[in-house]
Amino acid sequence: MTYLKRLPRFEYLGPQSLAEVCGMIAGTSRDEVMLLAGGTDAILQMRRRERVPRRVIGLKGVAELDFVREQADGGLAIGAMTTLRTLLASPVVGRRYDLLRETAAQIGGNELRNVATVGGNIAGALPCADMSPALMTLGARIRLSSGRGDRWLPLEEFFPEFGRTVAADDEVLAEISLPPPASGGAGTYLKFHDRHSMDMTVVGVSAYVVRDERSRTFGDLRLAYANGAPTVFRAKRAEAVLRGRALTEEGLEEAAETACAESSPRTSWRANGEYRLELIRALTKSAIRQAWEKASSRQEARP
Amino acid sequence: MNDLIPVSLRVNGVRYDIAIRPWRTLLEVLRETLGMTGTKRSCGEGQCGTCTVLIDGKAVNSCLYLAVEAQGKEISTIEGPPEGDPALEQIQRSFVAKGAVQCGFCTPGMVVATRSLLSEIAEPSEDEIREALVGHLCRCTGYVQIVEAIQDAASQLAHKGGD
Repeated sequence: MTYLKRLPRFEYLGPQSLAEVCGMIAGTSRDEVMLLAGGTDAILQMRRRERVPRRVIGLKGVAELDFVREQADGGLAIGAMTTLRTLLASPVVGRRYDLLRETAAQIGGNELRNVATVGGNIAGALPCADMSPALMTLGARIRLSSGRGDRWLPLEEFFPEFGRTVAADDEVLAEISLPPPASGGAGTYLKFHDRHSMDMTVVGVSAYVVRDERSRTFGDLRLAYANGAPTVFRAKRAEAVLRGRALTEEGLEEAAETACAESSPRTSWRANGEYRLELIRALTKSAIRQAWEKASSRQEARP
Repeated sequence: MNDLIPVSLRVNGVRYDIAIRPWRTLLEVLRETLGMTGTKRSCGEGQCGTCTVLIDGKAVNSCLYLAVEAQGKEISTIEGPPEGDPALEQIQRSFVAKGAVQCGFCTPGMVVATRSLLSEIAEPSEDEIREALVGHLCRCTGYVQIVEAIQDAASQLAHKGGD
């Protein structure tokens, strides 16, 4: 009975700065060292003995990674240790990135959101992570820090396979950066889960639509999926189906069909692969339609 | 190996200097080291909410929080501070009065989460109450009495504050 198990033994370090973290992980391997952000999933992984690190480096004391800032170019910078609660409460997120707010609001309840972090949700590299699809469709880039310096890469290039990231053993996810919201853009995150706030996502779809006001067509469309494949991914062929076209039932069907063809959902006790494909088909259509309607109503509301 | 590390925790306003192993959760330390068994353990996965305590006023699942990481923070549990906490006590009276306690296992978590909710929103709507409690399971009451208890506590506290 997993729930009765204590955590495996480990040594604990609690650095206070990013530089200290980088020093501590230099020359170590991920098998022996675990970075602990909020811990709402990592602690479960340890309790289930899926991960048994020799040393745990807790990041909660690294205050410099807890921020939500508007950038000079109109974009947004989010520190990796920002909790989902902080993200939800951030005025700039509510005003300009409601896809993020909508996504964070669908994760767990207060007890979880008060602790779980944006960085932890991403760096855990699980296919069921909800923030990653939303951030991908917003064009997120991430900053990896190490003693060797920083490097930036698109979030969509972060997950090479299930449970893994391209971060080297001495790198830590420090920041997520978003470009300014596109004019005519709007997004929706839809997910299916059995027991609302208490359960893991079965399938999640983030759709971000940029509506061309003049031609009333899809100027751009981005789709990303939780649990559509062994990693969170963008369905780029499905996106291409609708670009330049108006919203039609046939177009939605075709995009959803293409998204299914690009997906490879797994079978688990939670849901089998065929069922997940049905969810992908249905949620893709709804998400695109809702994002489109949001974008349209904003354009019409403008004076 | 001797893994005990010295930790200073503030629980309900009282400081405890203890030695703990770093892999101990806050829930384990509260119950087993400090003997505060009001906080319950149930699912151990962050789904049921029985282990809820407040850290710096915010509700968290203590089964998913390392005790060592709660250093320097203000921890509040169902036991409440030694000098008493009128809000915490009113919430409990309202839970009893409205029939929101049956087996009682989820109650400490519900009460503590309500304490946090009412400190942020003095008179929450039913939707706000239900939203604040989505991380709490109750297998007995069906939640209706719990919502009523929280509305009752909020109105009692608001009227006292207004006098």
